[in-house]
Amino acid sequence: MKVEALEYGDRKVFTVSAFNRGVADWLSRLPTIWVEGEVTELKRQDRWQTVFFTLKDPSDGACLRVTIGRGRFDALKLGLENGRRVHVFGRPELFEAKGDFSLRALSIEHFGLGDHLAALERLKTKLAAEGLFERKRALPRFPRLVGVVTGNDAAAKRDILTAIQTRFPPARVLVAETYVQGPYAAAAIVDAMSELCKAEDLEVIVVARGGGSFEDLLPFSDERLVRAVASCRVPVVSAVGHEQDTPLCDLAADVRASTPSVAARLVVPDADELLERLDRARAGLTRGARRTVERDRERLDRTRERLGRAPALAVERRSARLEHAAARLRALAPHATLERGYAIVRAGDTIVRTGDQVAAGTRVDVELAEGGFGARVEDVT
Amino acid sequence: MTFESAQKELEEIVQRLETGQAPLDETVRLWERGEELYKFCREQLDAAHGRIEELARRQEPA
Repeated sequence: MKVEALEYGDRKVFTVSAFNRGVADWLSRLPTIWVEGEVTELKRQDRWQTVFFTLKDPSDGACLRVTIGRGRFDALKLGLENGRRVHVFGRPELFEAKGDFSLRALSIEHFGLGDHLAALERLKTKLAAEGLFERKRALPRFPRLVGVVTGNDAAAKRDILTAIQTRFPPARVLVAETYVQGPYAAAAIVDAMSELCKAEDLEVIVVARGGGSFEDLLPFSDERLVRAVASCRVPVVSAVGHEQDTPLCDLAADVRASTPSVAARLVVPDADELLERLDRARAGLTRGARRTVERDRERLDRTRERLGRAPALAVERRSARLEHAAARLRALAPHATLERGYAIVRAGDTIVRTGDQVAAGTRVDVELAEGGFGARVEDVT
Repeated sequence: MTFESAQKELEEIVQRLETGQAPLDETVRLWERGEELYKFCREQLDAAHGRIEELARRQEPA
């Protein structure tokens, strides 16, 4: 189609109508394509020829006007409502009379939960392959400054603040309130995290959000957010949704907590419990020291007792040895005589020195230099 | 002299006296040395004990 221009000297000027017609003509040559987005501002009236709605990009809120013939729209029987995610097949179009740009839809399909899950699964596989879910850092034991990213609605925030401050009063908490659902949430949370990281002594971040629908939690599976969590300067605890939800940021976080108050228990120790343990250790220290001294004292006492007895013992031992030697000396004296052939005769215990000590038939014992023998007296001379 | 070295020497002296290894004229001298070592060890222990009890008392009101 030829577009006529007016000539003013060397300036070429189009009428609005001609310009619109020209753009419309150029747009009509673009191919038909699929566009994905969320339905908002849906307007359908029985007396209108056309149904209007706006398609919104859930990640950044970018908008696109969509038009579709009412007959065609009704025939699709979509039961479409605001907030639904759809794929729209159509081509760009300019409504010449108004200069309104829109996507002229030929078909619309629901992009359902299953599709979301499939997309999430693909993203998860991709990020896992990059090793984004591998790195797990240990949380600081006694953090001085804890960053909390949370929605401005009170419940989760209050839970976590109370839990942190009652458990471990020395910790300061820096709260970054942000969107936690909707199209701006992912980017806002990423910003909030990097804002918190500017605090130099920040040691850990908790990302907290209460439960919600699958769609509500989608920002926490957003690729940008998941990457930000994985590459965060400090360890991140993710406390998003309930136990059964596993948004991807849970996988990228260093620690996952099932609820915000569990997250609080994970990031700070219980000061009361610490003090109690310290007290027990101190008591043990005193007990141990006392026991050591006690043991040394007992040992020393025993040694001293032995020392006290030792000199007497030494003297006694010597005198016993002396006695023994003397006894042997005494015993040895008669032996020399016997050696020369003499014998000692005993009647009972008495040594027989004279004949009248015995009578015929008296039993006597005779001791020789070597051994001896028993005998009976024949007669007395 | 440390507590441990004194304790060790004392125990060696007792051992020598008890087994009768020491000459008689040395016995008395050894015994005196033993008593001296005992006194030293005892003082060390009492000092340690006193210090422990003092610290324990001090921590109780905490």
